Amino acid sequence: MKPSLRQIGLNIIELFWAEKPTDLLLQHILSWELAINSQFGAEVIETRKGFQTLSCQMKNELNRSILDDWKLFLESEIELSQLSEKVWEIPVCYDPRIGKDLQTFANSKSLDIEKLVKLHYQARYRIHFFGFLPGFMYLNGLDPTLHFPRKNVPDQKIEAGSVAIGGAQTGIYPTESPGGWHVIGRTPISLFNPEANPPVFTKPGDRIKFISISLEEFDEQSQNSTFLTSHD
Amino acid sequence: MIRDIGYLEILKTNPGTSIQDLGRIGLGHWGIPISGAQDQRSFNLVNHLLKNKPNAAVLEIFQPGFKCSFDSYATIGLAGAKAEIRKNGALNSSTLIIIKPGDEVEIGKFCLGSIVYLGIALGFQTMPVLESRSFYPRITHSSMLTKGEKIPFFTNQAHPKETYSTVKMDLNWLEEELLEVFPGPDFEALSEESKTELFHKSFTISTLANRMAFQVEELLPNQIPEQMTAAVYPGTVQLTSGGKLLILMRDAQVTGGYPRILQLAASSISLLAQKKPRQKVKFHLKTFEVGL
Repeated sequence: MKPSLRQIGLNIIELFWAEKPTDLLLQHILSWELAINSQFGAEVIETRKGFQTLSCQMKNELNRSILDDWKLFLESEIELSQLSEKVWEIPVCYDPRIGKDLQTFANSKSLDIEKLVKLHYQARYRIHFFGFLPGFMYLNGLDPTLHFPRKNVPDQKIEAGSVAIGGAQTGIYPTESPGGWHVIGRTPISLFNPEANPPVFTKPGDRIKFISISLEEFDEQSQNSTFLTSHD
Repeated sequence: MIRDIGYLEILKTNPGTSIQDLGRIGLGHWGIPISGAQDQRSFNLVNHLLKNKPNAAVLEIFQPGFKCSFDSYATIGLAGAKAEIRKNGALNSSTLIIIKPGDEVEIGKFCLGSIVYLGIALGFQTMPVLESRSFYPRITHSSMLTKGEKIPFFTNQAHPKETYSTVKMDLNWLEEELLEVFPGPDFEALSEESKTELFHKSFTISTLANRMAFQVEELLPNQIPEQMTAAVYPGTVQLTSGGKLLILMRDAQVTGGYPRILQLAASSISLLAQKKPRQKVKFHLKTFEVGL
């Protein structure tokens, strides 16, 4: 599972894997990220992960000697670190009154809502990286039965906390945003707080489990600041 | 040193005026966009003129019809688009202006370019969020400045003198149409026809041009399928399945799934930022001097 190297612009270098995203690939990406930061730390502005990529923005332009260092570095054997065992339990209300696309989604899939919802909260999801919106987690693990193409015309406004499905992905909108995914529920938990450091509480590699809650519980938890539970 | 706070008050503004600095650098791994001044070349210039630190916060103004007043002594600087600037009603052509309490500054017609940067000695002092004062929706408390808002700055210049040399601004660069680009990760997957078109045609800036992305009106035939989500940066040129070219700007999201076909040179992001809808640009392909 050796990555290939490519250059984006004058100071960005990218590691690319042709493999499909799995826990194993994520393990490789996270391990390479650690290795890059220990090898090139002082020269790195930041690393950003994708499903098959690890992009690295450098402080200076890439010159011959830096590129040679990278090529040599890629030949080295790195130590694979274990994925996190942490599981975050995120309450989600799958009531059609707030999961506004739930009914049409279920109809298109010829599934009843109960079955659909169960398929969604019974799975364990792995956080691969953050992107799209501040604090938005890219999750792997959606049941293929629930894969569903994005909307042709995106909605102008999707509420913060909305749990949605788009393509082979599921995710939670941390902030209000336009979006083309199908909203099937909502969490009362806040996933992004710009006043906090770090502004997010989860990390790539952690797992997510959705806990189905009633509309009453949703309303109650929205009023109070709910503490999120996790176990290792 | 104890510094007294003075305030700039917005008397009039059209949408789009914001506070910008160099942005939230290095927070992309949490999904946080870089933001920062759209035209960094002019942003750097205004802070240089004011002898400020490189990250000092400035006002970014996109439209004519801006007017503000000051309640304290200050030195302000102007850069970016060539525009009609008035102090207390009188036309002003210098890039640095000494301000006394009660002075009003107005930005009228834009003659060349589309963004004016109004900087101030020591920078504007709004509250930083996640290490930056750059406005971004739902990170900072507001995403645009509106009439009546008061922006703090340090006034420590009870008797300012004209100690700054006047700089004659060369704004010819704003007329340049060539954007320097490097091949992106998916460039090689383009057909030869698409590549030829990309570098021989002129592209027209569409009205969908903002701090997140600039679109062009012309379509480019696209055979590349959508990719697995990967990092994107200001200056990344994406090609949608419908053949639309999206040139990502400072507020762009940090990841995307459209093929990444080009990457603009930093100086070309600043140049593009100053273009208006209906203006033409051309892509000029650069190759890396040293390759992998």
